[in-house]
Amino acid sequence: MDDQALIRKAQGGDANSFAELLDLHYDTIYRFAWKWCGHKANAEDIAQLACIKLASSLKQFRFQSAFTSWLYRLVISCAQDWQRSQARHDHDEMPETETVGESSPAEDRIYLTQLLEQLGELGEGMKETALLVHAEGMSHAEAGVVLGVSESTISWRLHTIRKHMSKSEARQSSNG
Amino acid sequence: MKPKSYEKLLEETAAPPPDPQARVLAKRAALAEFNRVHAAAAAQQPKLGFFQGLSGAFRHSRESQSHGSDVMGWNSKSRMLAGAASICVAVLGFAVIWPMMKNGDAARLLEKTPAESVAVEPVRSDVPAAGPAASASTMSETPAIAATAPAQTPGTAEAASRRSADVQRPPVRVEAENKVAQSGEETFAFAPPTEAPLAATGAVKDERAQQDAPVAVDAITVEDIGKLPDTSANEALQRVPNVRVDRQPPADPASAAPPKSREADSLNEVIVTGARGRSKAAPHKGVAPPAGGGANPFEGMLARRANIAIEPKAAEPPEGRDKFEHFDLNTVKQVAEGENRFSTFSADVDTSSYSFVRRQLNAGILPQKDAVRSEEMINYFDYSWPVAESRERPFRPTVVVSDSPWGKGRKLVHIGIKGYELDARQRPDANLVLLLDVSGSMSSPDKLPLVKESMRMMVNGLKATDSVAIVVYAGAAGMVLPPTPVGEKEKILAALESLTPGGSTAGAEGIELAYQLAERSFRKEGVNRILLCTDGDFNVGIDNTNELKGFVERRREKGIFLSVLGFGQGNYRDELAQALAQNGNGVAAYIDTLSEAQKVLVKEAGASLFTIAKDVKLQVEFNPATVAEYRLVGYETRALKREDFNNDAVDAGDVGSGHSVTAIYEITPVGVDARMIEPSRYAKEKAPAAVSGTGGEYGFLRIRYKLPESRQSQLIEEPIGMERKQVPETISRDVQFSTAVAGFAQLLRGGQYTGALSYDDVIKQALAARGDDPFGYRNEFVQLVRRAQGARGM
Repeated sequence: MDDQALIRKAQGGDANSFAELLDLHYDTIYRFAWKWCGHKANAEDIAQLACIKLASSLKQFRFQSAFTSWLYRLVISCAQDWQRSQARHDHDEMPETETVGESSPAEDRIYLTQLLEQLGELGEGMKETALLVHAEGMSHAEAGVVLGVSESTISWRLHTIRKHMSKSEARQSSNG
Repeated sequence: MKPKSYEKLLEETAAPPPDPQARVLAKRAALAEFNRVHAAAAAQQPKLGFFQGLSGAFRHSRESQSHGSDVMGWNSKSRMLAGAASICVAVLGFAVIWPMMKNGDAARLLEKTPAESVAVEPVRSDVPAAGPAASASTMSETPAIAATAPAQTPGTAEAASRRSADVQRPPVRVEAENKVAQSGEETFAFAPPTEAPLAATGAVKDERAQQDAPVAVDAITVEDIGKLPDTSANEALQRVPNVRVDRQPPADPASAAPPKSREADSLNEVIVTGARGRSKAAPHKGVAPPAGGGANPFEGMLARRANIAIEPKAAEPPEGRDKFEHFDLNTVKQVAEGENRFSTFSADVDTSSYSFVRRQLNAGILPQKDAVRSEEMINYFDYSWPVAESRERPFRPTVVVSDSPWGKGRKLVHIGIKGYELDARQRPDANLVLLLDVSGSMSSPDKLPLVKESMRMMVNGLKATDSVAIVVYAGAAGMVLPPTPVGEKEKILAALESLTPGGSTAGAEGIELAYQLAERSFRKEGVNRILLCTDGDFNVGIDNTNELKGFVERRREKGIFLSVLGFGQGNYRDELAQALAQNGNGVAAYIDTLSEAQKVLVKEAGASLFTIAKDVKLQVEFNPATVAEYRLVGYETRALKREDFNNDAVDAGDVGSGHSVTAIYEITPVGVDARMIEPSRYAKEKAPAAVSGTGGEYGFLRIRYKLPESRQSQLIEEPIGMERKQVPETISRDVQFSTAVAGFAQLLRGGQYTGALSYDDVIKQALAARGDDPFGYRNEFVQLVRRAQGARGM
């Protein structure tokens, strides 16, 4: 069964179809959430929020855009909500410790975390833009649809990010 | 080593595989939510006729609630249930609702006779054994459930005994609810922890039943809050998500199932307690009932209550992140020093401070000092200051001098004004635009659900010729309802009901859209007002506070006013709400309970919606011949410069129909040995001789105001005489009561100027001046003072 049929059935209230839909997309959701925050447990939390949100708002999906675009938007909004609640609540986040047997070298993940932090500081939408285009391989136009901005905004954002990164890289190499 | 380029890093760094358990949990939570949502849509339909017939018997909000749900069902595209299922649901619905109808009374009964509830317990414990009719009828259709049922006996018995242990439980909700609860638990609590259970259609149907219970139950929770004098139900709205953890054996796989919920706070709790994924959400109107089934909201509530008694720490709501503007208390001023003899301030009819303080105290916490604004505490109460006769001269000041209860020899000067009261026929038509925050952070029961309830109550109180539009902001701003006359109330209520929280707060166009709509349906002769409901995550696109204020101010010139209603806590940005409302010629109110909504939006709707005077400024000039020192209680954030008083371009507070404004000065008359400020050694201090004819005056009161459509201010003047006037008993009682409130507010602020005044004194004063207190507000105040005695500091 393809996505569209599944979605229609789920929108009609069919729990089986919804469960199937979740199965199909949980990994996408989780993976994106992980890239968004760089932390496994947090990503699981975000993914769970996104699944719940999906349940309550699936009816609002109108097939006007690709389901995945819509889903990315939903995950991003969940991630942002989640982050806001984190910022409000705790500051004692434990750094992730598990390193063995993971799919990427530990130092890459550390760099990624730093990178995400930098991107987050660049301003609203920057991190999301970079993730959608570089990590998820979307075109500028597709990313624009997800983020609700124009294609040129995406291009501009990427340009800004690149400029910023090369500057900070230059700084780093001059320091050491 | 040089790191990879950032693009490569993003592209190639792979996520570690998710914990399979997390996956299962997420899926189960989502499915529970899914079922709840669809059950909500489907289950309402059959009840339509039933509710219409009975609705008269329901209390106000419940009527509107069921009503709203009908509409939701109506709109829903979900398929109708098969006939048998419909009947089954209707029966369940009735079984749930019927006891609810009485519950208000029951709760009151309980206050008097706790023993009764104990007596009722056995009946309840019988229920699971008896095989409740309602759930049996469900089972007959759902073999999946029937199959699991036998295995459950020990568990349900345990659940029942757990319940009977809750002695405090109000007696009436009983059987029907328990039936639902049981049927809920049968499917959920004992379902094997696989991913499969939802496949059974039975589960879906059962969810429907389940779903009814929390909704109805929560309606009561919200509604009764504040009505019970001891506000015992108030905790129900405090979010204490980790409570359930204590009550659930951690090994129980089903208890690991509940959604971590969209509620951010519970998520946090999960992390804090280390019981990731195992915590229960607080009872939610909007969110999937956790695995325990229909009884959960009650259990949660009771558990919480018990928990508070034992260990208040556990009940800690996410307070302290609410933002309040810092201000210093008014200091004692020496009248002899020139300019000082003038005290100028703007009227303030806001009451949000009181509601916020109440909420904190009910949670057993002393509010942060900046949250306590004395004038708002005082003005929360309705006083019997005489009302002016005409609309053209809407105030008649009442000035009463009395002895200060906390400073020997000092006097209190009460200045009370009450806005002219428009009667219903005089009310202009209202053009209201509701600007509602529906971001994800609004999902807890004291936020969006309470907003919806409140708005529904307000709409029910409007005239048919008024109009209402709804704009929401969250992920995207949007118009939910174009300006619609209240004559078509159904449409408005349906639109309200359809709102669900979701998305982050970022509706750039939200506020602009609201103003556009207000302009579109602008009523020249009427009231044009935007009601902004938010939990404080206030990002309507213009994120610079000053820019936002300017925006609101410019629209004010066009005759569109803005009021701000604050909801929820944990993230409430009071200072912004205040600033916006002040700039928008509106009130800022904080709505913590449904009864507060009733007060602000129904009982005092006239005051909240219909301005009778704007830019109301007060100025007192003290007479240096008779007054040595004075201090204004409160109004710190409303202080004006002396020269602002006559400057009509300077904005000030607005007063609505029937609003009362009370200001209290503490003065030290000349010659009394109670001065706070040492006389100067070098500057010769001598009370100047009184200007002839004013020797018998403490001072002179001036009030400036503009009529709503006027740009020119008018002046009311009245001397503050020294002699004690004979005042009617109602007034002297209100003077005393407002004094008690002022004393309380000052104690909460640290008691810098109140000498030996204690909470006990405040209680004594307040009790003596309680009067009729038809709505119980003054009683509630006394309770609050008692709570403050026992509260710990934040």
